[in-house]
Amino acid sequence: MFAYLVRRVLMLVPVFLAVSVVIFSILHFIPGDPIDNLLKPGSSPTARAEMEMRYGLDRPLPVQYGIWLSKVVQGDLGTAIVARRPVADLIAQSLPHSLRLGGLALLFSTVVGVGLGIVAALNRDRWPDRAVMGGVLLGSTLPSFWLGLILMLVFSVWLGWFPVSGARGWGSLVLPVLTIGLGGTALVARVTRVSMIEAAERDFVLLLHAKGLSPLRIQLRHVLRHALMPVVTILALRIGWILGGAVTVEVVFARPGLGTLLIKSLSQHDYPVVQACLLMLAMAVMLGTLLGDVLQALMDPRVRAALA
Amino acid sequence: MTHSFRKTLLSASVSLAAMLAAQAATAQEAVFVMAGNEVGAPTYNPIKATMLNTATGLIFDRLVSQAADLSYHPWLAESWEEAADGMSWTFHLKQGVTFHNGEPFNAEAVKAWIELFKTTEGENAYMAEAIASVEVVDDQTVKFVMSRPEPNLLYNLSSTFMSVVEPKSFAALGDDFGVTEVYGTGPFKLESFSIGQETVLVRNDDYTWGPQLATNHGPAKIARATFREIPEDSTAFLELKTGGVDMLLSVPPDLTGEIEKEANLAVVTLPGADVWYMPINVTKAPFDDIRVREAAAKAINQEEILASVFGGVGSTADTFLISALPESHVSDGAKIHYDPERANALLDEAGWVMGADGVRAKDGQPLKVTLWTQSDSIFRRLTEVVQAQLKAVGIEAEITTFDSSMIRDQYKTGEQQLAVRSYNWDNADIVDWFFGGDRLGYPNVSMFNDPKAEELRTAAMTGAKNMDERIANFTAYHEYVLSQFPMAPIYQPVQAMAYNKDRISVPEKIDAPSFGSAMFMDLEVKE
Repeated sequence: MFAYLVRRVLMLVPVFLAVSVVIFSILHFIPGDPIDNLLKPGSSPTARAEMEMRYGLDRPLPVQYGIWLSKVVQGDLGTAIVARRPVADLIAQSLPHSLRLGGLALLFSTVVGVGLGIVAALNRDRWPDRAVMGGVLLGSTLPSFWLGLILMLVFSVWLGWFPVSGARGWGSLVLPVLTIGLGGTALVARVTRVSMIEAAERDFVLLLHAKGLSPLRIQLRHVLRHALMPVVTILALRIGWILGGAVTVEVVFARPGLGTLLIKSLSQHDYPVVQACLLMLAMAVMLGTLLGDVLQALMDPRVRAALA
Repeated sequence: MTHSFRKTLLSASVSLAAMLAAQAATAQEAVFVMAGNEVGAPTYNPIKATMLNTATGLIFDRLVSQAADLSYHPWLAESWEEAADGMSWTFHLKQGVTFHNGEPFNAEAVKAWIELFKTTEGENAYMAEAIASVEVVDDQTVKFVMSRPEPNLLYNLSSTFMSVVEPKSFAALGDDFGVTEVYGTGPFKLESFSIGQETVLVRNDDYTWGPQLATNHGPAKIARATFREIPEDSTAFLELKTGGVDMLLSVPPDLTGEIEKEANLAVVTLPGADVWYMPINVTKAPFDDIRVREAAAKAINQEEILASVFGGVGSTADTFLISALPESHVSDGAKIHYDPERANALLDEAGWVMGADGVRAKDGQPLKVTLWTQSDSIFRRLTEVVQAQLKAVGIEAEITTFDSSMIRDQYKTGEQQLAVRSYNWDNADIVDWFFGGDRLGYPNVSMFNDPKAEELRTAAMTGAKNMDERIANFTAYHEYVLSQFPMAPIYQPVQAMAYNKDRISVPEKIDAPSFGSAMFMDLEVKE
């Protein structure tokens, strides 16, 4: 198991390098640069060249990349060009907000999604199944931007239950968590339903029935345990996805976080900040994948045996 | 539970409720939403920052203030004199002013503050660049010795970037100044700042030196002000509507109508610093012919655009500068107005013959041009109207839309012919910025590089010894640029703010070019 873990972690190194190249080059191929946001009417005509030199933007791209990467691996994310603050400070102020929002959304979509999936599977092809799957289809197709505004309109403007926006207190988390969580719920519910139905058709279930166990007990104790494996994998994969998915929702609900920071820095072409934000999101996806693999290994005795 | 205990509890809760009600009635507390483009301003350090938000103007004072007509008025400087040769300025400082941390504001503090511009790495150094040294004449008098005449000095001193910071704490706090702590002389002190979220300011009760332009010179009426950052305009509007906030400091033109529909909301406007215009690339045929440029410029019907696109809010533009600037007062002949007869006659004269399909042609080539714009919806709407107006004189313009953050790099290719864009600036040096021959592509979208203009530009930028000369030189430069038709002026918006009438009372007369101390001192929460 340990050897497997080491191998999986080592495999992340080339992935990390590839991701860093992609992030760096995509950003620099987008038209525009940070200096445009720094120059003001009244500054001298030579100001541009001076600034490019000051921020190292006059050097060839591969050199800039090398400098950036070598600093990043030493834990130095650099200083924001437009924002003029250490990038690590900006991230440290934003990340906790995003983690709280993303974590709660993940929790919500897990609990509700698995629950709905079970209900649908137990009532296969009957009305509760159809209702859940219909709702799920609707939930997964609504764009989060729009869904957020609708929830805001209903629960804040009409009913006045929650604050419209902001990040003050737990009440302000409810609508953003719902907005992100509902999309995820759909996916989790579908996967749970399908894999429970599949598992229920396996031979061991027939055996359990033959042994005279109650159908509900079979479903919840034995079938669900089997069925949850793909669900766990999907949830782990979604860790990174949910942080990324929070981007637009943070903007709509005016919450500070990685998404708000990313959007702002992107519009200003503040390279060091955008690179750091994207790197955070990419790492979240990579670590989520790793977590999914490890969990699967731990949960499935066959995988564990193969690795031993 | 004994009877008497229950009674005590009851009376305690009654008095608590009364206390809370009393507090709500007297609390001068209000929540503001800053403009969307100010979201994420990372610091309140005016010397280092590239971007400062509105709350900055309440933490700090400046030596000089500007009125709505952009004239200069005393603030921390009670009066000033400029040497005839422009090589020195003497400022007489207000007495009895202290910084939030108790340090005195005096000549030594001003000297130390100006020197920070020389020693702090950043993009704002140019603002104090012409000041060679600062002499302390006496405790309340400073003399700026200049390395060259800087007739724009008062403008710089009235800018937020030249907010007077407390120099000792600036040196001691380093990068933390403006983030964790910040000290100015302004009507408010920083209580807390959470980047991208909100800033809480509390009243400076010692403040008695507010700008002359305000009725109340201090302390402020509002005791505690929260400035929230909300990137989405529609979210900010819903907050205002539901009473979550009391005032929006910036409302886009598309939302003012919605706000006026609400009984408890009102809109208040200040003169804007934006100009919307259509740059014309003078190097791209057919616009290398000045007659075609003039025709395109005079095809633009500013009145129609004001009415149909902007609902009559704001005013038309007929020069490149906002009309509050003295340099916008060019001769009547130089102003650019809608004149379809002239436009048609010029195109006829240039050999572009009107075809049966309503598109002009010359030597078998139709008069088809490109018209660039950015993706924001208001730009797209305006550009479609411009397209129709060009069509009316026989110019067929094809619209290309670029993402707002990327269009600058597109301009750098120099491939544009016509475009619709806007700028926000309240000084005549913007003419140099957008038409200087060494900035072709962007900012000089018009690719305008003309020897006579360059001569006038040098005189305007560096040739003046005092403010009057500078105004005269810039007016001449501006007028010449207009005569070459490298652009068509379109529209000047106002800065619209919206507030909850039940909560806030706004002064009747606001003599300020933008939201700041002059306006804020007179704001009050209704009780």
